[in-house]
Amino acid sequence: MEAVQFLATIQAYTGIGIGLIIGLGAAGACIGIGIMCASFLEGAARQPEMIPALQGKVFLLLGLIDASFIIGVGLAMMFAFANPLLSVVPH
Amino acid sequence: MENIKTAQVYKQMLKWQLLATISVAVLVFILAKIIGVASPEHAAISALCGGMSAVIGGIAGALIAKSGDKKNNAGAILITMLKAEAVKIFVIALLLFLTFKLYNEHLVPIALILGLAASAILSGAAFFGLDKK
Repeated sequence: MEAVQFLATIQAYTGIGIGLIIGLGAAGACIGIGIMCASFLEGAARQPEMIPALQGKVFLLLGLIDASFIIGVGLAMMFAFANPLLSVVPH
Repeated sequence: MENIKTAQVYKQMLKWQLLATISVAVLVFILAKIIGVASPEHAAISALCGGMSAVIGGIAGALIAKSGDKKNNAGAILITMLKAEAVKIFVIALLLFLTFKLYNEHLVPIALILGLAASAILSGAAFFGLDKK
């Protein structure tokens, strides 16, 4: 019975952790993308001839900003599907 | 400032991602062989799965972003870029989910995360490669 309670507690806290990892990661990525897109639009409005030069760099930086979020999603999936914390519960 | 073709950016990004993925897979293989915690083959395959998820997601995003090349309106270009990013994240999440579901038995999670992280972070290194040209 105690093992089941341990299991339930670990799973519950892991669920909260997964939510925080994905939620805070998404919030950070969205703020970063918002700032970068605003700067791109401002730059494009000031010098429209720079748009082709900036386009590729914007895509690269979008990927870089999203990298932390993608890593967070990977970690969250690890905790969801192959949770290493569950190994402490006795069988 | 020189005009950099978008296709050139994607090629650089892909090159760096593949390089990072293969490097991590080899590193993890050697580490697993030395430490002996997990099977070296499965650790290397896990790292490859993580890295290739980011690579395939990047290719899917690049295909969508390429369609915005001919547009001159900054707003339209931005919308296309954001669509490409959404597709990229969706594809990566889907591939990671499939990896965790189908390769669950022999998966080495740390190796997968290492491969994914290296591939995702080093795609930005293409930025510095472009600046050198």
